[in-house]
Amino acid sequence: MENILLSLIFVPLLAGSVVLIFLRNSKWPKDITALLVTFANLVATAMIFKSNFSFTVPWASFGFEFSLRLYQFSAFIILASAGFGFLITLYSVAFMREKSNSGIFFGLLLISLSLVNGAVLSNNLVLMLFFWEALLVTLWGMIAIGNKAAYKTATKAFIIVGISDLCLMAGIAICGHIAGTFTMSNICIGVGGIGGLAFILMVIGAIAKAGSMPFHTWIPDAALDAHLPFMAILPAALEKLLGIYLLARISLDMFKLSHNSWASYTLMTVGAITILGAVLMALIQKDYKRLLSYHAISQVGYMILGIGTLVPIGIVGGLFHMINHAMYKSCLFLTGGSVEKQAGTTDLEKLGGLGRMMPITFICFIITAASISGVPPFNGFFSKELIYDGALERGMIFYIAAVLGSFLTAASFLKLGHAAFMGRANREDVKEAPISMLAPMITIASLCVIFGLWNSIPLKYLIQPILGSRLEDYNFAGWPTNTTIVWVTIAVLIAAVLNHMYGVKRTGSGLKAVDHIHHAPILSTVYDKAERGVLDPYNIGMGATTIFAYCLSTCDKATNWIYDSFIPTITDYASAIIRGLHDGSVKTYIIWSLVATAVVISLLLK
Amino acid sequence: MNNSGLLLAAVFVPVMGAFTLPAIGRISEHLRNALALIFVLASLVASAMLVPTVLSGQTITVALAGPLGFNFVLTADPLSVFMAIVSSFISVIITMYSFGYISHYPNRNEYYTMVVLFIGAMMGLVFSSNLILLYIFWEITAIASWRLIGFFREKQHVIKADKAFMVTIFGALAMLFGFILLYAETGSFDLAVIKGYFGVNPISNWIVLLILLGILSKSATLPFHTWLPDAGVAPSPVTALLHAAVLVKIGVYVFARLFVMTLPIAAIWHTVVPIIASASALISAGAALIETDMKRIIAYSTISQIAFIFLGLAVGGNIGIAGALLYILMHGIAKGGLFLCAGIIEHGTRTKDITKMGGLLASMPITAISFLFCALSVMGVPPFGGFFSKYMVMSGAFNQNVWIAMVFLVGAFLTIIYLFRLFNMIFMGEEKAHSEAEGSRVMVASVAILGILSLAGGIWISYPAAYVQITLKQMLGI
Repeated sequence: MENILLSLIFVPLLAGSVVLIFLRNSKWPKDITALLVTFANLVATAMIFKSNFSFTVPWASFGFEFSLRLYQFSAFIILASAGFGFLITLYSVAFMREKSNSGIFFGLLLISLSLVNGAVLSNNLVLMLFFWEALLVTLWGMIAIGNKAAYKTATKAFIIVGISDLCLMAGIAICGHIAGTFTMSNICIGVGGIGGLAFILMVIGAIAKAGSMPFHTWIPDAALDAHLPFMAILPAALEKLLGIYLLARISLDMFKLSHNSWASYTLMTVGAITILGAVLMALIQKDYKRLLSYHAISQVGYMILGIGTLVPIGIVGGLFHMINHAMYKSCLFLTGGSVEKQAGTTDLEKLGGLGRMMPITFICFIITAASISGVPPFNGFFSKELIYDGALERGMIFYIAAVLGSFLTAASFLKLGHAAFMGRANREDVKEAPISMLAPMITIASLCVIFGLWNSIPLKYLIQPILGSRLEDYNFAGWPTNTTIVWVTIAVLIAAVLNHMYGVKRTGSGLKAVDHIHHAPILSTVYDKAERGVLDPYNIGMGATTIFAYCLSTCDKATNWIYDSFIPTITDYASAIIRGLHDGSVKTYIIWSLVATAVVISLLLK
Repeated sequence: MNNSGLLLAAVFVPVMGAFTLPAIGRISEHLRNALALIFVLASLVASAMLVPTVLSGQTITVALAGPLGFNFVLTADPLSVFMAIVSSFISVIITMYSFGYISHYPNRNEYYTMVVLFIGAMMGLVFSSNLILLYIFWEITAIASWRLIGFFREKQHVIKADKAFMVTIFGALAMLFGFILLYAETGSFDLAVIKGYFGVNPISNWIVLLILLGILSKSATLPFHTWLPDAGVAPSPVTALLHAAVLVKIGVYVFARLFVMTLPIAAIWHTVVPIIASASALISAGAALIETDMKRIIAYSTISQIAFIFLGLAVGGNIGIAGALLYILMHGIAKGGLFLCAGIIEHGTRTKDITKMGGLLASMPITAISFLFCALSVMGVPPFGGFFSKYMVMSGAFNQNVWIAMVFLVGAFLTIIYLFRLFNMIFMGEEKAHSEAEGSRVMVASVAILGILSLAGGIWISYPAAYVQITLKQMLGI
């Protein structure tokens, strides 16, 4: 068992390094290596899924232990990540075929998988941080190999995630200090005083990885600049799994949180703001991938909200939503990739009528779009209902935010589907994507159906065991128990459809179906600012940093002035004065000597 | 060779050897280069051969009694051997790199003499266990670096060399005054005697302050730091040697040797020094974000990172001190690599202004990757070595004083930002400056070694960490 766990980390790592160093420019070997390794990874994680195992080997001194723990939660996350890893590799083989940097992409993908396995299996906080933060490097690399300007987005991502990772590092340092141990399963501390600081710092690390507001703005940029499979694998799937995994570990295991603690309200507020803020931005996007990327942010809000409720139903909902979202969102990105590859663009202005020419892609899109919008009986519906229930229990305002978010989500997907797949076609010669790209999409879309219709399978076997005694013997499988909430959801979905029909009728175009929201009085100014990047926390932060740096640099220059100007000037004056005393006249010197002698004598006589 | 012989060889082969180089250089350039490398290598090998002995818990002492406490004492203990290996190893790489870099410039005999003398003096300083001896080697390093900074002889360069010399000499004299006060109280310059004299009673704050002036000026910490960016006018291998790997580490080493290991200091210094360091970390990081001269940016980054080392040493606690020692190692490797990369870039593009660069990734791929690896190590990103040292220092700081640690956290944020700004402006984007070749093979190999070591230092962290743990036991007597 030890060897299996270690090989889950080291095999993809080695394979990835080999691909990066030796097979980077090969024709087929890199694809085959990537496929084989990701498949082996999937098989291995599936085989050990039911096991419980932990072991520790000394790593370095000072409390660093190489300590791994396989149990329901970690086994579930690595299984899911292995699944996405394999499917998206399969997809990328065709998608990345003509791209120049595909070798680097596959190498980094394999290394990322290894790091995700390591981070999730770690039972030592420092070890986890090691794997977790190392993902920064692969993240940077995978974005940077995109288009020409991608390095800027890569840097933006690196800086945002890197800073939040440093916060996580600080949080871990404090947490270990308070708890006296870095072993995750032994930590259980309060959020009073300095523990609260540790909690906030660690949550920043977790939700920034998941892509929550205000750490989100690199994602929409990356959607345009990076290769599409990157979006499907990291921001849509693996980073969500990781971030929410850690958030759940922090707020459920490692910190003792009560329902009424500020921590719970903070999480729910962050969640609610993320849902609404990001979905409002998604609504007005005119690019397939960029629109999806805003939803990748918005949906994180639901997970944070669900976990933040701290009631069993909300937590189960949040975790269920995590896996559901990873599925439908990566599949949605994959449909976007098919469109990009086959139609040559993802600009919605130039797309249209693809549904007839790419029927399978279209069907996958419909299923996953229905899932994300929370349409019964797909998987997203069930997880959202659980979160609604939890949110309602904790406060009406959170529930309203969540439902409003759903309305806007549905509206924007109606717009997207209409603009891309229906209406008049700009080109008639678009073909369906190749089978190796369709297969992953079909697989994931079918899983979305299965996880919805038979939701007791994931809930009973994957999600609910994670909570253990915290579940209080509830069982949330099956149809939602609170029928009022279901009716509200259905009403909201109908409202979204009516809204869409109204918009289409008003403007005569699917793409412009939400213009009446876009141009609504107050919203339009906000939108205007947001589109110009004025509200981007990154831009604001970097602006503030520059001003701060100028102030610091001025302090530095002032210090330097002392050395370069002040001291030389003083020295010059002093030497000028002393030089003036040496006037070359014997008389002056004799007077000086006499005065000095007098002083010495007077001192001696005293 | 027995241990005392090794210890003497580590110091005196380069110190004595340095003076033979000008004569040999007149006969053969290659022989001189080879000998220079051999002298430095001798220090490395001799220090490395001391490792088994010091790890077994023994300390090796070579002592020659002198009058009035002026004993000649060299001591090899885990700390001094650690420091000696780190600095001589980086020096070996830098000497190798110099073969490619300096071959087109005049005064090469002087260059190698000064470099080897400098490294020898560094070895002497590291091993000396007598304050006067330490002071003498300290000043030899100052003289050698003064010549080396002004190596190109331009007027502005000489002024900057003078500045570096005068600031550090001012500090050194203050420190000497502190040593004399110590002597007045204890009657000895021998560290072992002084340690026995004080026991656990804190020494006078005046003495600490005076010695600290010397330490801070040598390690370029606020407010004595501005000579370091100015010294960037030196040839790049020299900047690597002085700024990154060796010279600036003298201060922190002496801090560890005197104030952590030997002399008990009042509790207030565990707060005062971190506060000074935090200001130093922030101000220099801010300056690094504004500057546009590549070498000045890296120099400011050094000032900022040195502050982290001071933080680790000054807050106390095992993990902080251990982190600081690892920091000396990891930062030396990574920062040395950055300066050497800067040398290659400067040679290739004939400029140091980053606003005139861009897109060099295409023509200098190995340098770019090495630069990136070293930069990531300095940022403290795993799996690079700098992660562990930064984490441990921060962890030590958070255990003691959360607010100072938060200031350093901001410093760490800025590190990421300014290093990426530097990397992007040099290597990414539109190609503004063009470079035909990447540099001579030996230069590219040198930076590649340092880049790979930055990565290897993190992956095989258990070896340096185990060594540092033994060092810590010996230092703190636990």
